[in-house]
Amino acid sequence: MSLRTPLASVLGQGAAKEGVRHWWVQRLTAVALVPLTIWFAVSLLSLPSLGYSAVTAWMSQGWTAVLLILFVLTVTWHSQLGVRVVVEDYVHGAGPKTAALALVTYLHVIAAAAGVFAVLRVALGGAP
Amino acid sequence: MAEFRLPANSRIRAGVTHKAPQGARDLRTVRIYRFDPDCGENPRLDTFELDAAECGQMVLDVLIRIKGSRDASLTFRRSCREGICGSCAMNINGINRLACITPVSDLGREIRIYPLPHMPVVKDLVPDLTTFYAQYASVKPWLMTQTSAPPDGERLQSKAEQEKIDRPAGCILCACCSTACPSYWWNSDRYLGPAALLAAYRWIIDSRDEATGERLDALEDPFKLYRCHTIMNCTDVCPKDLNPAKAIAEIKKMLVQRQS
Repeated sequence: MSLRTPLASVLGQGAAKEGVRHWWVQRLTAVALVPLTIWFAVSLLSLPSLGYSAVTAWMSQGWTAVLLILFVLTVTWHSQLGVRVVVEDYVHGAGPKTAALALVTYLHVIAAAAGVFAVLRVALGGAP
Repeated sequence: MAEFRLPANSRIRAGVTHKAPQGARDLRTVRIYRFDPDCGENPRLDTFELDAAECGQMVLDVLIRIKGSRDASLTFRRSCREGICGSCAMNINGINRLACITPVSDLGREIRIYPLPHMPVVKDLVPDLTTFYAQYASVKPWLMTQTSAPPDGERLQSKAEQEKIDRPAGCILCACCSTACPSYWWNSDRYLGPAALLAAYRWIIDSRDEATGERLDALEDPFKLYRCHTIMNCTDVCPKDLNPAKAIAEIKKMLVQRQS
């Protein structure tokens, strides 16, 4: 049992002066994902076939590769922001929370790097 | 981790059933959460069968009737009995509302009454609102200025400026909104909750206040403000028809706007 006053507990360590950027970037990436996701789904479905050669040929076009890279980066960025909030909501305790947030960030950076590398390899002709 | 099950000492067991009186005309089954801190036992759910025709028309009248004629130990807060004091906020048939302005006729044959969710219970239907009030105090709910008041009168504001604070100032601090918010359930130690944020907003947009920046600074925090995920249970349950969710969204907008 703590003998701190209720007001002291509520005031805690004060405001972190953080959160605006997170909130705003989450909205910006969400808005950007609307056209990107529609473009991705429509272009993929309008390919003559979904076979390996048809898809790699599509990915090798300049604008397709650029948009795919933007799509990968925006998805992973948006997802990182969202999952961070989920962790903050449900994981309590400084240790587990810090570890979970670090892990989530690393995984998203790895996913982004792998996605961009895959697009570049196909687009620049490195894929078999 | 967040707790998805009640702790062992909070699990509710079956309670006592008080049978209906002879010849009841409008029979209702009222199940009420009971907790007595002095007996050391888990909370229980008591059942009162009663004739609604013998009571007044609101749920509070039913509770007063039960306390007066069936079980005098039943404990609940009440005062104004007209929806302005906010004392009798409780969870009735799954929704946080004021017992005094909830008609029994809206509720069906079975009425389930619990204290406000996810708060420590003092006794029966009385929740411990200490933290809730401290959260309200933490937003400094009073006028803060550097300019002294005119020597010959009050600080003036236009009709339009007054209308902006008219609704937000109508909050009666009943705690229905905050205790309906899942984000508040999981993080009430750090998230201020919709009621305190609505109060903050009421002072942020007050044209006479000169501490707007300071107030926004105090809320710029991932937990104090940004635990709101726009679930909007707060606006849904508010017995005064206020819109805390909109107020929080406006605060978030102002914080973005002052950056560019």
